[in-house]
Amino acid sequence: MTGPIRASLMVTCLGDLFFPEVGVAIVRLLRRLGVTVNFPPNQTCCGLPLFNSGYHREAARVARRTIPLFGASEHVVVPSGSCAWMVKKEYPGLFRDDPELAREAEALARRTYELSQFLVKVLGASRVGTSFKGKVTYHDSCHLLRGLGESQSPRTLLGNLEGVQLVELPGADECCGFGGSFSVRLPDVSTSILAKKIANVEKSGAECVVACDAGCLLQMAGGLSRKGSRVRALHLAQVLAGPDEP
Amino acid sequence: MATRAEFLGRIRAEVRRAPGLFPATPAPRPERPAEAAQAVRRQMTDRWPGALERFQEEFALVSGVFHRVGTMEDVPSVIRDIARQKDARGVTSWDPGQLGIDLRPSLEAEGLSLVAAPVHGDNDARARYREAAAAAQIGVTGADFALAETGTLILMSGPGRPRTTSLLPETHVAIFGKSRLLETLEQVGVILEALHAEPESARRGAVVNFITGPSRTADIELTLTRGVHGPKEVHAIFVDSL
Amino acid sequence: MSDQALRTPFSERAGAALRDTSLQQALTLATTKFIGLRKEAFATYPQGERARDQARAIKEATLQRLDHYLNMLADNVERLGGHVHWATTGEEACETILRICRECRVKTVVKSKSMATEEIELNEALEHAGVTPIETDLGEYIIQLAREKPSHIIAPAIHKTRGQVADLFSRVLKGQFPADPEVLTAVARKELRQKFLQADMGITGANFAVADTGTIVLVTNEGNGRMVTSLPRIHVAVMGIDKVIPSMTDLMFFLGILARSATGQKISVYTTLVRGPRQPGELEGPDEFHLILMDNGRARQIASELREALYCLRCGACLNVCPVYRQIGGHAYGYTYPGPIGILLTAMLKGDRAVKDLAHASSLCGACQEVCPVRIDIPRMLIELRQRLDRERIAPLAERVLFKTFAQVLTTPALFRLAATLGRLAQRPFVRGGRLQNLPLVFARWTKGRDLPPVAARTFSERWRELR
Repeated sequence: MTGPIRASLMVTCLGDLFFPEVGVAIVRLLRRLGVTVNFPPNQTCCGLPLFNSGYHREAARVARRTIPLFGASEHVVVPSGSCAWMVKKEYPGLFRDDPELAREAEALARRTYELSQFLVKVLGASRVGTSFKGKVTYHDSCHLLRGLGESQSPRTLLGNLEGVQLVELPGADECCGFGGSFSVRLPDVSTSILAKKIANVEKSGAECVVACDAGCLLQMAGGLSRKGSRVRALHLAQVLAGPDEP
Repeated sequence: MATRAEFLGRIRAEVRRAPGLFPATPAPRPERPAEAAQAVRRQMTDRWPGALERFQEEFALVSGVFHRVGTMEDVPSVIRDIARQKDARGVTSWDPGQLGIDLRPSLEAEGLSLVAAPVHGDNDARARYREAAAAAQIGVTGADFALAETGTLILMSGPGRPRTTSLLPETHVAIFGKSRLLETLEQVGVILEALHAEPESARRGAVVNFITGPSRTADIELTLTRGVHGPKEVHAIFVDSL
Repeated sequence: MSDQALRTPFSERAGAALRDTSLQQALTLATTKFIGLRKEAFATYPQGERARDQARAIKEATLQRLDHYLNMLADNVERLGGHVHWATTGEEACETILRICRECRVKTVVKSKSMATEEIELNEALEHAGVTPIETDLGEYIIQLAREKPSHIIAPAIHKTRGQVADLFSRVLKGQFPADPEVLTAVARKELRQKFLQADMGITGANFAVADTGTIVLVTNEGNGRMVTSLPRIHVAVMGIDKVIPSMTDLMFFLGILARSATGQKISVYTTLVRGPRQPGELEGPDEFHLILMDNGRARQIASELREALYCLRCGACLNVCPVYRQIGGHAYGYTYPGPIGILLTAMLKGDRAVKDLAHASSLCGACQEVCPVRIDIPRMLIELRQRLDRERIAPLAERVLFKTFAQVLTTPALFRLAATLGRLAQRPFVRGGRLQNLPLVFARWTKGRDLPPVAARTFSERWRELR
């Protein structure tokens, strides 16, 4: 089969509402790499917050709506490790009593990729050909690292980027304290975990901490900004996308 | 209190109600344990020098002190040296028959006192021995096995082989030869399977102890400290002629 | 922890822990050290991953025939001259021990570290009956003198500094002791040596029990497990029914991974295999051996979502890596078993109502599962537990309504868009310098410690049109 690779963007609720610029960066980046990007309308959320709080019937309702939205998609690209994990690992199990939906969920799971995995493993683009100036460190999002077993792709992409000095983050694989509803159920514990993360980020000497999950970015950016830190929290796509006009 | 039948009946009901999480079996056991144990021993007749080397390394890592001598006749002088170093006078040991040597003549000649464990004994003998073991500074035992991969001495209790000889004195000295060396925990498993497959005999005690270096704790600020309840020092004497 | 203390909400107990600076220091120090030691230990044990798989399979296989293996264990213990008692509840286990104490005129008991006896609050029961229990694990001894509870499964006094221990010893043991672990350990050795020699009864737990041979396995570093099983005239072992394994071959897999997971040692200093009381011809050992097989809520989990928690070896590895445990320590959890596995065990032993709040004391980061020697999927079970809380209507009504409304919004794109619009309107008075720092109501839970970006002026969905 020839012709351009097609991908649908699943922007996620946090991406849609709080970080639209990440979605814009992904579109720019994917197009630069020759991918035809589309955005199925009427997206809301993958249902992970419901699922993790134990509301599985409700999560299944959300999934039941989401699956057909991406029914025609060749690939589904998700900018968040946790949402990608939800679709890939948990959607099928939500439909144990409905074999037909379970099959569809499994099919979607197979076509769905977290962004860095899509770039490296599907496109084979471990060099995206753009540049970014500065000292950068990478935070492993828990669901991407332990849920999807991915620690290398984002590092490879960053390491290959012209102008980037990639430094390892002490305790990179430790949770940032977000944890979805955990962050507001136990806010003091959540922010005290965050304080450790921020201290490590500052210890790394990086000007910018990169993550592949909107949840971690919300948490880390919130902590850095509250502290008045000059370190920025950016999504991988924002670092890789390059300047506005190719 | 439930009876055994009631208790197990309830568990059986729960087990029947539960789908297993995944198909699973326990670890495969040797079909003929005695033969498997023989095979392990045969393997070790060639491989013991490597095992001894590894044992030494691991034993040193757990703060064990290793000695090597030619024959049993050389053992008392090692014990004498340890006693001098510790400024110790009292020694206790397993029964000479179990130990493979009567230490009394040579140790007494050095001005050390020895209480050897009786082979059998009643309540009084137990009380007497306990007192002696608690008072002794050095306890001398054999070792049924020396496990190379962890630097572990394995001792079985039994007649003439009290548990406290290796426990109450501040210094424990274990004597063994090449036939006692094992390489892996897996081999220990085979040997223990074989041991338990044999008919019960009067020679078998209730306890098998795996001893890996001196007693230790890190319960105060994770600071490693030796000799909490058991020995502060453990010595292993390897005898070539055994 | 006392009922009084448990009346304080979990979030406040956690808050108090967060403000305790010496606890914070101790926790960071200890958990960081344990994490490093464990990592190093497995890095140099190539067969470790396979052993973990095998150990997990053994635990599952045992559960699939649990009645059979318990029966076999009991037969073998009785054949060796031991007595077996079947305790459905913790109270029954305590009563049985008290009865043995009465019948054998037991005045003092020496104990080696046992979470099972912590779980049933045996010490309180013994004291109440006029029997003196003495904890002999150094950490347990410290917290017994301080009249506290363990705060870590394998390092019970992890929350105490050396200075605090020195003060405690000086006060209780009437002396002047320096804040030197070496000296303090020697003090405890001397003090406890006499107790070992005089005690009437030794009480232990069991790390494992081998059904095929009737062997109780005790793993310690200090040697107190050996003392307690060798010197007193009666030995009582209290074990949860989840501790039985089929054979000696199985045991070896566990010995290879237990200490590595717990302390980073290749194997603990002492692994003691005990079969029954003193055997014929032996000089030493107890006259009597009693094994108490305790259910206390375990059996009903065999067929439940929490089944896997019955695999737990009590190594404590999941505590050390848990971001929540590392912040709040063990006491804030409020029950015997802290940390992520502790939440599951508490639900098991005390019922789901006890973990109404605790079930959410996890960011589901998955670090616990990664280090668990038997790969217990703790995050998944926490999620299952949360599901049960909704199903059993233990979760607060307001929360359940909120999440169900939330689901409605997420399944109705028009409502989702409306929510974005409302958010933009509502946030207007609060935006300062492009961020939200001081939101009212429930949103304050976020902005108290962190900033929040405002809902974007134009969401991605709204911007897509021009990107097309």
